[in-house]
Amino acid sequence: MIALNRTTAKRLAFFSLLFFSLLAISSAQPTLQVSAEDHDGYNRAIVAVPFSLPFELEKDGNLLLVRLTSRVSFRLRTEPVKSRLIKGLSWAKTNNLYIIIIEARHERFRYDSFKVENKNQLVIDFYELAAPPAPQEKAAEAQPAPPAAEEKKEPPAPQDLIPVEGDPLAAKGIRTIVIDPGHGGLEYGAKGKFGTLEKDITLAVSLRLRTLIEKNLAYHVELTRDRDMDVSLENRAAIANNHRAELFISVHANSSYRSKASGSETFFLSLNATDEDSRRLAYLENNSADLEKPLSSKDQDDIQMILWDMAQSAYLKQSQRLAEIIQDELNALLGTRDRGIKQAPFKVLTGVACPAVLVESAFISNPQEERELAQAAFQENVAQAIYRGLVRYIKLLS
Amino acid sequence: MKKHKISPSQWTLFGLSLIAVLVLAAVLFRGTGGERIKPAAPVRAGEEPSATAPARESKSVQLFFLSEDDNYLHPEKREIPAGPSVVEEADLTIRELIRGSDKGYISPLPPETKLRQLFVTKDGTAYVDFSREIMEKHPSGSSAELATVYSIVNTLAFNFKPIKKVFILVEGSEKETLGGHINLSRPFVPLFSLNAR
Repeated sequence: MIALNRTTAKRLAFFSLLFFSLLAISSAQPTLQVSAEDHDGYNRAIVAVPFSLPFELEKDGNLLLVRLTSRVSFRLRTEPVKSRLIKGLSWAKTNNLYIIIIEARHERFRYDSFKVENKNQLVIDFYELAAPPAPQEKAAEAQPAPPAAEEKKEPPAPQDLIPVEGDPLAAKGIRTIVIDPGHGGLEYGAKGKFGTLEKDITLAVSLRLRTLIEKNLAYHVELTRDRDMDVSLENRAAIANNHRAELFISVHANSSYRSKASGSETFFLSLNATDEDSRRLAYLENNSADLEKPLSSKDQDDIQMILWDMAQSAYLKQSQRLAEIIQDELNALLGTRDRGIKQAPFKVLTGVACPAVLVESAFISNPQEERELAQAAFQENVAQAIYRGLVRYIKLLS
Repeated sequence: MKKHKISPSQWTLFGLSLIAVLVLAAVLFRGTGGERIKPAAPVRAGEEPSATAPARESKSVQLFFLSEDDNYLHPEKREIPAGPSVVEEADLTIRELIRGSDKGYISPLPPETKLRQLFVTKDGTAYVDFSREIMEKHPSGSSAELATVYSIVNTLAFNFKPIKKVFILVEGSEKETLGGHINLSRPFVPLFSLNAR
């Protein structure tokens, strides 16, 4: 009887495992939805994304290419095309770049686009042009709205790139550093003997770090939270990717079962790689050329799942360098014991698509360090050390 | 004349008993079929490790604990009843790990934690399912979470060759982290560099 129960329990465990991993996969994959439909006088295509993204449009013969850059990977959903002009929808992708290919039946069309901000939709209207007599091609270009396409719509869109603003800062060439104050809200992280909470220290240090960067560097700082609130680990990575962060710094305070444990350390991600993971990575490296071709939707799902899963894996070397430099500055400024740089499978770092580190300033579980962590002067020193590390790293790049 | 001895009622009886035998055989056969699969799961009925081992051989395993002196995981020898398979031994070993050190090492597992289930898949992944206390009573913190995870992973992989990776479950399902740091949604490979030499 017991054996039977165990078998049942085991099956249950397996199924719940399967269920949860499926759930995880589906929730980790935002959808990019493309549809095309005819309206009176124009053919409308709609590209819908889950959040605001920069688009670029380019007409190439009978194709209209919609480029969008996202470090978050998508699953594509197309709806059946119901259009006289638009023949088909497909897409291709490389690491960050998605190209949606809208294929028209012929190249004689012009288009106009606008964004529906609250829905994160890009709407593209196609206007069919009359078949031009052979010698008049120049004229057609100069006057792209010949009688057949007469509409109340205004001036014709130029035929080359129309940058559609997504992230206004990135579009203006302003670079972003994302600072992630660990924990927050109900999830307070580690707790010291005197009641100091990790979430409060991480926020205090992060706010100081933001001030230092914004005062002295030509970088915009985005915080994953600027007050005491819950933010999921996946959303922290998503915030970095959506802001096209150049660097990601997660600020934490450490805690150990050993009350004597002390000092600061800087982590970067370890993949905890199994053979299977190595194979997947090798596959990606060997087949990156294939990724530029349109893929079947089944393949797309598989491959993007991997990309999302391992976004940080492409930046491990840079992350390690960043960790080394920050740790160096922490040692110089804090006088806490150097625990060095380490690699560990931190959940918050896995999905971040830029160099990313996690700084453990000191041990909240060590009564002496807990007292220090609670002091403004020490918090400022931690922020200073990270800031100096960032400056050195940025210089190294340029 | 003798042929007449088998009456129709006797035929019926014979038929019925034949069916009964067949049914019984089928039931027994299925029963043994179940038994054959069972070694993948812990067979022990009792919850106490000692309850099942009256005359069984013992096996010594190394449990990995923290020491107040350094950042490494330190081995402590423990005797457990041997066999009958890796799964039972691994199960007992984790229970011993939760029970803690006899030598004054620090156990990085909350003592209230219960092992709910342990099984090993064909590819060498051990699924170790703990009760909620492993999260609820956990102090959180990067170092603390790393210690918890790798005392479990290194203990299993060090003692049992067939175990190549370890997937930690809590209350039967996959969790993101124990306390906001280390990723539990992928299986762990052992990190023997954390073991003291």
